[in-house]
Amino acid sequence: MLQYVVRRLVYGLITLLALSIITFTLLQNTGGDPLDRIKANPRIPQETVQQMAEFYGLDQPAPKQYLTWASNFVQFWNYPTAWGRSFQGPQQVQELVINRLGGTARLMFTALGLAVMIGIPLGIYQAIKQYSFLDQATTTFSFVTFSTPIFVIGIGLQIILALKLEQWTGVKLFYTSGMNSTNYGDLSFGARIGDTLQHLFLPAISIALISIATYSRYQRASMLEVLHSDYLRTAKAKGLSQRNVIVKHALRNALIPVITLISLDIAGILGGAVITETIFGWPGMGRLYIQAIGINDWPIVMAVVMLIGFMVVVMNLLADLAYGWLDPRVRYD
Amino acid sequence: MTDRPGPAADKTPSQLAMDEAEGLAVEPVTQWHLFKARFTRHRLAMLSAAVLGVIVLLAVFADLLPLHNPTEQLEDETGRIVNLFSPRADYPFGTDQIGQDVLARVIYGGRTSLTVAGLTGLMVASFGTLVGSIAGYYGGWVDTLLMRITDLILSLPLLPVAIVAAAWLREAFEGREALSLAILLGTLLWGTLARIVRAEFLSLREKEFVEAARAAGARDRRIIFRHILPNAMSPIIVNATLVIGIAIILEAALSFLGFGVRPPTPAWGQMAANGGRLAVGGSGAWWLVLFPSVALITTVLSVNFLGDGLRDALDPTQTIERK
Repeated sequence: MLQYVVRRLVYGLITLLALSIITFTLLQNTGGDPLDRIKANPRIPQETVQQMAEFYGLDQPAPKQYLTWASNFVQFWNYPTAWGRSFQGPQQVQELVINRLGGTARLMFTALGLAVMIGIPLGIYQAIKQYSFLDQATTTFSFVTFSTPIFVIGIGLQIILALKLEQWTGVKLFYTSGMNSTNYGDLSFGARIGDTLQHLFLPAISIALISIATYSRYQRASMLEVLHSDYLRTAKAKGLSQRNVIVKHALRNALIPVITLISLDIAGILGGAVITETIFGWPGMGRLYIQAIGINDWPIVMAVVMLIGFMVVVMNLLADLAYGWLDPRVRYD
Repeated sequence: MTDRPGPAADKTPSQLAMDEAEGLAVEPVTQWHLFKARFTRHRLAMLSAAVLGVIVLLAVFADLLPLHNPTEQLEDETGRIVNLFSPRADYPFGTDQIGQDVLARVIYGGRTSLTVAGLTGLMVASFGTLVGSIAGYYGGWVDTLLMRITDLILSLPLLPVAIVAAAWLREAFEGREALSLAILLGTLLWGTLARIVRAEFLSLREKEFVEAARAAGARDRRIIFRHILPNAMSPIIVNATLVIGIAIILEAALSFLGFGVRPPTPAWGQMAANGGRLAVGGSGAWWLVLFPSVALITTVLSVNFLGDGLRDALDPTQTIERK
């Protein structure tokens, strides 16, 4: 077991290493001189520009620059200066990224929560009432959602649930941009919660819809498999109530594959966040990432890619461990 | 012997004629017949194949259709540019913010999007099959090495890497965005198919017919491509079909973020994205979002249903009676 975890951690590190080399190489060959922008900014003294060129080793060959970046990057405890300055201005990369981490986390966990709370019960219901109207409708919904790019979902929700709804009813139920209103500081506690939810709902549900479709499909399939198993027939034959059979016997086993799926879905949700944050002007890592690529601010791009890669690696490992813990038949060797 | 209906190939023409006269003729049922019988039962897949066929034909023969030039700023009789016209008789899908005909752009955009997706599917099918069959057939350190690389590709966060790579490719392949996007998506998406093909090869290489081929003196290349591969075709076809759907969606996502196909060349994702920005900005031009989105979703939905139908129809362990 311990051996397994150690081996998986080593593979994870190799993945992150490869990810960093690939991304770094691609970024080196993209865009012009990253210093152009900061040199053009009159408010930034020449010494700062000089310091940055030195910090990143910009006059060095690319492999040397990579090593410089990597050795700085792993010293993350030297907050906030460890990752150097952004090429956009005076801010520290570490500060910028960490500040945006909260926004992405809020979006990610809300989407994940919505997907779990809607997708799993939906799948269970579909399996119990197989071929019912709701089962067929959910299946259709799942197929359509799988086939729709997330930005089309986001834009569609903005147009229908925010713009058109306000036009037709005069009620502003949802906001299409930002994390909070500008007057957030003046609001009472209750109003603050309302304001937060009004901003959060549309981007979160845009990400969640695809996950809801995925989870309900898997939950339905895994529940159906369990419902047709021998031990469940035994449970029914013993005269247990329908409720007991489903909740105590079927559900426990039917949830196992879906729990693994959810941990593996984190990469998808983070990818969705990159797009959704752009649509909804959400101050998260994803939007920072897209802005940074556009102007070749590569220290930020690297930092965000590595954080996302790290989360994906950790969640993959947790998924495998959770699977072994929940299903005693699984052996690690 | 002759009075029992046996394999038609063993009989002389006169025997066959006699069989026919006596009502004993045997019509051979091939894999193809079974496939056709199963596939035609899958109504949704049949419909999807038809829809997809129409979309592909429209894209291929777009030049022959009486359409406006998709990249021309159109003007009315008075010389005014017809920007943001809502759908009407002469512009059934309306016009966009710079006066281009949306119908023409949707049809030509299909050409771009389908080219990217089709090339990606081809790349994934050939590269994934090659890697998977070599790994599965030879095993040992070749297998370990190839599968480590495959796992690595599969464990990369897809979208962030795709964005960085697209930003680079856009400069490296200036003006040939469709090709560069297909190369990018093909490189990122072959992993799953390689794993599937490897699993097929692992089990097939132990079968008697492979041993027989080897005993007959067939070389590795012949065994891989002539004996094993035809038996592993079903999952390859199904996966390549599904990859086409994924590629259309990813191309759209990259175009939305500004790393895909650039205007004036039309592509569905890019049209929906730019139209969407305008619509949310308050232009009310719903037709700019709706038509390209519907074209895109219809295509991907058809591809997915087709993949589903192919999966059911190509599975030789299934009987025709099922469902």
